[in-house]
Amino acid sequence: MLKSPVDIIKINPNNFAQHLPQIATVIKNGGLILFPSDTVYILAVDATNPVAVKKLLGFKNRWTGKAISVAVADINMAQKYVKLSVDTEKLYNRLLPGPFTIVSDGLQKVAIGIEAENKTLGIRIPNSPYILNLVKKLNIPITATSANLSGRSPHYSVTSFLNTLSQKKKNQLDLIVDAGKLAKNLPSTVIDATESELKILRRGDLVTSNSTSLLSNSEIETGKIAKFLYQKIVDKKLSGPIVLALSGDLGCGKTVFSQSIGKLLGVKSRITSPTFVIVNDYGHFLHFDLYKLNTKLDFIEIKFKDHFKNNIIACIEWPENMGQQNLDWLKQNTNYFPINFEYISQTKRRLSFDF
Amino acid sequence: MYILGIETSCDDTCAAVLNDDQILSNVISSQTDLHQKWGGVVPDIAKRAHQERIGPVITTALKRAKIKIEDIDLIAVTRGPGLGIALAVGFNYAKTLAKKYNKKLVAVNHVEGHLLSVFLKNSKGLPKFAPIFPCLGLTVSGGHTKIVLLENIGDYHVVGETLDDAAGEALDKSAKLLGLGYPGGPVIERIAKGGDCNFLKLPNPLPEKVNFNLSFSGLKTSFYYQIKDWSIDQKMEHLSDLAASFQNSVFDHLIRKFSLVIDEYQPLSLLASGGVLANTLLRSRLRQLAKSKKLPLYLPQLKNLNTDNAAMIALAGYHQFNRSGPEPVEGLDISPRFEL
Repeated sequence: MLKSPVDIIKINPNNFAQHLPQIATVIKNGGLILFPSDTVYILAVDATNPVAVKKLLGFKNRWTGKAISVAVADINMAQKYVKLSVDTEKLYNRLLPGPFTIVSDGLQKVAIGIEAENKTLGIRIPNSPYILNLVKKLNIPITATSANLSGRSPHYSVTSFLNTLSQKKKNQLDLIVDAGKLAKNLPSTVIDATESELKILRRGDLVTSNSTSLLSNSEIETGKIAKFLYQKIVDKKLSGPIVLALSGDLGCGKTVFSQSIGKLLGVKSRITSPTFVIVNDYGHFLHFDLYKLNTKLDFIEIKFKDHFKNNIIACIEWPENMGQQNLDWLKQNTNYFPINFEYISQTKRRLSFDF
Repeated sequence: MYILGIETSCDDTCAAVLNDDQILSNVISSQTDLHQKWGGVVPDIAKRAHQERIGPVITTALKRAKIKIEDIDLIAVTRGPGLGIALAVGFNYAKTLAKKYNKKLVAVNHVEGHLLSVFLKNSKGLPKFAPIFPCLGLTVSGGHTKIVLLENIGDYHVVGETLDDAAGEALDKSAKLLGLGYPGGPVIERIAKGGDCNFLKLPNPLPEKVNFNLSFSGLKTSFYYQIKDWSIDQKMEHLSDLAASFQNSVFDHLIRKFSLVIDEYQPLSLLASGGVLANTLLRSRLRQLAKSKKLPLYLPQLKNLNTDNAAMIALAGYHQFNRSGPEPVEGLDISPRFEL
């Protein structure tokens, strides 16, 4: 077991609220905390407290001048620390919360050593209720740098990180917040938004080419995009049926996308192409393929509209075949989210969305 | 025992009469001509055609078998998998008949029907053979692609299946991409004759040796994007090479996976069935495979037993009835995603 005298709090979604005040107090007092994020474990300090930031930089063996990203709760809070252009605001609205760090020109409202030498600052709004609630409670940004010593790889469990530390380093931690093993998501994708053309500074799980599209290089990445978009929709806390209309050419990953959504919804059986049977009904998840439908009568016959009730989630492939009337009806009676799939090269696809 | 089989899971309206496992009649009313101009099965048209034809098709089947409906002991009908609104026509008809004539009813799995179709005999009880188990079955159509281990009749383990498109569906889609007619399988077979099957390089799906599942969507995607920007003239010039290349890679994949599973499960016999088995090249490649593995291979005895038919449904129903008796007619419903 750990010989460290450092306090360890084991958190889960049910007990987090009760531990939150203690965690917030440590940060407020300038403490250094090991904390879970939506990607890897991070090292969190009050990003506006020069003493705390100095402690963090010392801990990481990191010289000042190399930027440290910070986590905020929402776009309003971000605006206090960075300049946001209209385009960057759009980027925030489409991609955050999510596994992205967006770099903008800083307003020098954080402690020295956080912004880069060129005065830019990377902002995260992680898809992690733990971090979002902590930052909301503190109402100040916290550092969101991955928990590793400079140049080493990130960690997905507390023990794995602690094993790399000397006792002296361990003693510098003021609190360890342990949420168990994290899913193996890559560290966030870092996007430089200081110029009009976006630049990817570090590749994470999701890569964007502009504010309304993500790029996929494999089926696995298409699955990750599905998860990200699904989470965006869940965060909207909508009521009523949800429809994901997947347009695009043959072989762009529409079925792979649907399979990922089905899995996220807990479908245990195999999700195969519904082309032959038009709709596969997995209970609360429906998978349509309208490839073969032509006539209005077809839609009446398969009782198309009757499928969209209660809180079902449907993926529809070839929605362009449904006709204007059905489209209007769906837009009126369901939460309708179009996603466009585009073939770029043999291994590259672009998925565009505007929600 | 006289069994009346009814099958309407897709675009063929079928009825058959069996005496145990012997076919007395097997009537198939194909709707292919109705769907041809749409390039695929149109659900609404399929439903209406089934409704118009189901009565006459059953009457013809009884007449050819020289059996009166009163003498039927059991009605067997397809429960699924299949196209919901098409399945419902045969299913409801069977229920009505069962109630009206007070007949026992069993609802059958369509894929089990295809697997057992190789065990059907003609009215003279031929061919005479006793299948050896365990038997490894490959069943391939426009709606399903499965590798199934039959420990015995009624004892099935699905050991591999398609993760996306069915093999027949992939052939249909490739035919559509080449501007050829529907159904795609037979057209592709005809045009592929004499073509160069190495003309287009297509990927080898799921190359891992430990994975027994199949996948056809990658083949389709690669095929599509390789010829997407070709002019019609270019396509026409190489039509048979293109058809041969695609067909060959579909069959390569089927054979490679089937062969892997044979080595893994060491069955004592093989069977293959389903609509895609109507393809002569695939049948001959399967025969070669069986020969190299030194195993007997059971194939449907008649060409019209490859595609959807009610004789196989009646046979599956016969065995199911012997295993577990009739089913209560009330409350029985179709199951479009019915698992084996």
